[in-house]
Amino acid sequence: MHPLISVQDLRVSFRMGQRSVEAVRGVSFDIPTNSTLALVGESGSGKTVSAMSIVRLLPDNALTGAASKILYNGQDLLRAAPESLRALRGKDISVVFQDPMSSLNPVFTVGEQIAEVLAIHLGLRAHPAWERALELLDEVGIDKPRERLRAYAHELSGGQQQRVMIAMAIACEPKLLIADEPTTALDVTVQRQIMELLARLQQRSKMGMLFISHDLALVGEIASQVVVLREGTVREAGPVAGIFHAPQDAYTRALLACRPPLDARPRRLPVIGDTIPPKEIAAPRRVSAAIGAVPLVEARGLRKDYPLRAGLFRRSMLQAVKGVDFEMHKGRTLGVVGESGSGKTTLAMLLTRLTDPSAGSIRFDGRDLTLLDAAQMRAYRSRIQIIFQNPYASLNPRFTVGQILNEPMAIHRIGSDADDRARRSIALLDKVGLGSDAFGKYPHEFSGGQRQRIAIARCLTMRPEIIVCDESVSALDVSVQATVLNLLLDLQEEFGLSYLFISHDLAVVKYMADEILVMHQGEVVERGNPGAIYANPQHAYTRQLLDAIPRGLSASA
Amino acid sequence: MTRTNLQALPRSAGVWEQAWSRLRQDRVGMASLAVTLCFIVLVLLAQLGLVASGWQMEVGTPFAPPHFIGKITDGSQSAVVAGIDGPNVDISDVDPLAPRYAEWSERAARFKTIVSAKSDTLPFGGDQLGRDVLSKVVKGAQVSITVGLAAALMATLIGTVLGAVAGYFGGRVGDLLEWIYNVFTAIPYILLVFALAAVLKSGPLAKTLGGGVWSLVIILGLVGWTGIYRLVRAEYMKHRSREYVRAAEAIGATHAARMFSHILPNVSHVVLVQLSLHVVGFIKAEVILSFLGLGVPIDMVSWGTMLSEAQNELVLGKWWQIVAATAFMATFVTAFSLLTDALRDALDPKLR
Amino acid sequence: MLPYILRRVWQMIPTLLGVILLIFFLFKYFGGDPAEVMAGLKASPERIASLRAQLGLDRPVWEQLWLFVQQIFSFNWGKSWTTNEPIAQIFATRLPATLTIMVPILLLEVLLAIVAGLAVAYVRGSLSDRAIMVISTVALSVSFLVYIIVGQYLFGFVLGWFPVQGWSASFWKNLITYAPLPVALAVLVSLAPQTRLYRSFFLDEIGQDYVRTARAKGVTENAILLKHVLRNAMIPILTNVATGLPGVFIGSFLIEVFFSIPGLGREILAAVNRSDYPVIQAATVYLAALTMLINLITDVLYKLVDPRVRLT
Repeated sequence: MHPLISVQDLRVSFRMGQRSVEAVRGVSFDIPTNSTLALVGESGSGKTVSAMSIVRLLPDNALTGAASKILYNGQDLLRAAPESLRALRGKDISVVFQDPMSSLNPVFTVGEQIAEVLAIHLGLRAHPAWERALELLDEVGIDKPRERLRAYAHELSGGQQQRVMIAMAIACEPKLLIADEPTTALDVTVQRQIMELLARLQQRSKMGMLFISHDLALVGEIASQVVVLREGTVREAGPVAGIFHAPQDAYTRALLACRPPLDARPRRLPVIGDTIPPKEIAAPRRVSAAIGAVPLVEARGLRKDYPLRAGLFRRSMLQAVKGVDFEMHKGRTLGVVGESGSGKTTLAMLLTRLTDPSAGSIRFDGRDLTLLDAAQMRAYRSRIQIIFQNPYASLNPRFTVGQILNEPMAIHRIGSDADDRARRSIALLDKVGLGSDAFGKYPHEFSGGQRQRIAIARCLTMRPEIIVCDESVSALDVSVQATVLNLLLDLQEEFGLSYLFISHDLAVVKYMADEILVMHQGEVVERGNPGAIYANPQHAYTRQLLDAIPRGLSASA
Repeated sequence: MTRTNLQALPRSAGVWEQAWSRLRQDRVGMASLAVTLCFIVLVLLAQLGLVASGWQMEVGTPFAPPHFIGKITDGSQSAVVAGIDGPNVDISDVDPLAPRYAEWSERAARFKTIVSAKSDTLPFGGDQLGRDVLSKVVKGAQVSITVGLAAALMATLIGTVLGAVAGYFGGRVGDLLEWIYNVFTAIPYILLVFALAAVLKSGPLAKTLGGGVWSLVIILGLVGWTGIYRLVRAEYMKHRSREYVRAAEAIGATHAARMFSHILPNVSHVVLVQLSLHVVGFIKAEVILSFLGLGVPIDMVSWGTMLSEAQNELVLGKWWQIVAATAFMATFVTAFSLLTDALRDALDPKLR
Repeated sequence: MLPYILRRVWQMIPTLLGVILLIFFLFKYFGGDPAEVMAGLKASPERIASLRAQLGLDRPVWEQLWLFVQQIFSFNWGKSWTTNEPIAQIFATRLPATLTIMVPILLLEVLLAIVAGLAVAYVRGSLSDRAIMVISTVALSVSFLVYIIVGQYLFGFVLGWFPVQGWSASFWKNLITYAPLPVALAVLVSLAPQTRLYRSFFLDEIGQDYVRTARAKGVTENAILLKHVLRNAMIPILTNVATGLPGVFIGSFLIEVFFSIPGLGREILAAVNRSDYPVIQAATVYLAALTMLINLITDVLYKLVDPRVRLT
């Protein structure tokens, strides 16, 4: 059957000053009509650039190869005149982007923006345009559509904004919808709703869909064809069943394997080494440390309120954490899972005293941490450490790695002199797998995963007993994530560390934690053993979370 | 591991080293740097009195034209006053002093008198009093540039310190500083300058500060800190909640350490660019203030005083003073501005 | 809306008090003795003493401060020390001349800079970028004074297109005959830097994600620039205009001095030269209050331009 779009030998490079960087190196694939093709890859794979080349929405410094072709309706889109390309955009081919908040114009209403695309391609104006916009909002599942027409982007939630983007994209009944990571910026439960919406729309209108994602499990539920990209080349392409059940390429196999599985608990996750194939991991089950008699940390009744200003004199409170109790035991991991606004990050801030609780107590080593002043707390800081989410922001860009590692030791007087501290730093760099060469370099010379490892080394300089991992792997690619998780597990075994592991990703938390707290809007709605929670969730919200986890092909098969 | 092993480890270039190597490749930037350095050297020489120290001497005829124009021979400016012929009447018999004349001329001849010949043309021409425009413009450069630099340094220091404290701590201290900022910015810039100028001109401080450029430096510095304060405060507020600062707090770093060891290096490139921009702004302000008579004292010369003289000269067709002052000022300000742009690009190439 | 305005007015009070305190103490402790200034150089000690009593300078400081505050809020400033003209009248008569010059300058500046900025943003090549930067840098390095001197000389004296100086009593005559040269010079000088500033606003907006969405919808480049980008750029443009508005009232004293325009700027400059403190004090306090009022109005206007603004 004739494909809708045929991408042939696509090459794209970007001019940066004197050099040029190749982002896409000879990618070819065909997008069929009336089905979904998924482009999967990690960051730097070239998936977004390939998709944007179809509609030529690339930055000014992009260069396409001379032999590259993108055929649509007999026309080579790469060589089409700007005016004819413009006529196609929004009408034959439309795009839904990743971040709906910034992709919508902040100063125009939702209705005006939808009406705009109707006016350009279908010539609808005024009342007919407004009515059609209303229909579209209804079709994408927005409640109270008539009111929402006059709303501005910032007045809507993330999920609603994305629905508006989808409405704009399908307004003129396109033949192809390009969805560039449309759910990555959304909460997991909302993600599920948007995926279902997209699948439904695709089936109803029989349009082709190009779905881009880094999450192989996610695309398994929606795609019929999959193309796996790595560093600008196609590693594997084919029907989704083949990809999932019989992957040919080593990279594809590695991608599938290094996600923490929901039903097993291997000792370590397989990783993609620099040389593929990945090593065969002996898969004994992981054994957690035993629960001690006395908990290491005991938190009771933790509450955190933030004052909000509303009106002239009234002040309402935002309750981020409402009365949370938990315990941590030596050598074990307490997992906290929840979506945005659940209060899980606030919990991390409270335990490390980066913010003070409005009420409640935290007992550690016989003292209540909430009662300590700044000077007293400093002594405890070396024992409770934290690794933040954003590896690009948690290291001072002006410090060398050596300085970053030296600072905590200097503060807590670890090590006899500067030399001794340097030696310890280098030993730690080796332990986290970075090598002594990293000592004199700056953070920007490292990748995200490497920076997280530097952050881990920084924590280790102080020999802490507790490490809070606040979404520490959420910003990392799947393969890198596995490396960091393995490192954390190794360190836990070696040093007897206790972790407070916080994430929105239930699969990762389930893999890492010995006990789980499920948080929703500031409260713990369920707690217990990971296996028990997975097999038999008690609370409605927990069930909702579990349903939202993308299972890959097995779910839809 | 011994100490030598540490030295053997590779060391990457820091921000300033990288910026310098980027600047080196920017031809416009290097040219502006060269021009700026020439001016700085000139200023230092003038400060030490090695050049242009004699700018007040009237070495030329009034309105002496520049060399390349040559002497104006239409008789419109002639410093030589034709000798006055005395009356051809001999009154020596009734003149009581007559016998002494011979003795006096004899005595006078014994004193060496220096007859300074006033040149008819000067390198850049002369002003109304015959002073050398080239010397004036160099001395003026010294005054204007020194004022600009000193005032900019003062304003930057005040603005950075206050901005850092306000941005980092917030709370009551921040509110107090915001109040001060609001008070200073509620008054239009020029009015505040005028008010301060009026006060420093005739008040008690006039005696202590008078006779120099310091009152001008203080005025400009006290009025100009607000822009830098705003910027530094915003930067500190932005960085205060960044994760690397939280991480520093988590490892136990003190407030001072966070403010100066952690955040300041990340903000210093912004401060440097602001400093350069203010130098240009203050030089231009000084020129205008001196023009109006509110700037440097009367016995000093700056580009502004030259322009004020030039205003009247232009209608007489004498353009060399205004051209000289404008050319020097434009050259320096352009070079410095281009240098600032190049510096900004070198420090943060993403802005391109 | 009303609670917001009330809260803002409430917040302005400490600032206004701060300005009053600053001006009062600045002139009291750093300024010269008013009695000596008023009495003149050759006054006798008795005359000075009697003047001090008249001005209330022998009373305690806080009483003088209270008197000062009273004067401000009752708009009664007394008279200028030198010309003996009531200060309120000085302001009233000089302000129209200032506005006749400054308002056209502001309007023309903004409109021309928007047009020029859009044009340059549309072209957007690195060559035009560099050219604009260099031209505006060189143009800015020449002092405003030089432009006025040369402009006055060239267009007024040599070419005779405009009168070199002057002002009349009729508004229209001023606008048509006397205002064009100073207005043209001022706009010309500020055109390059304003254009550069507005161009940066437009380029910032062009780089935003919503422009990419508009392109993906098939909007033409013209419509993107004139509808999407311009509308969003109005926000920083409004900020820019608002910062310049208080300056409209004080006027460009340079222009007024050069062109002999009897405006507020020139008046204040003259007051500085003759140490006429009441005029300077009054002008400072009132213009500060006016600035705060303009800021408040602008913040409210923001709501019209930027729907994200929540006036809380």
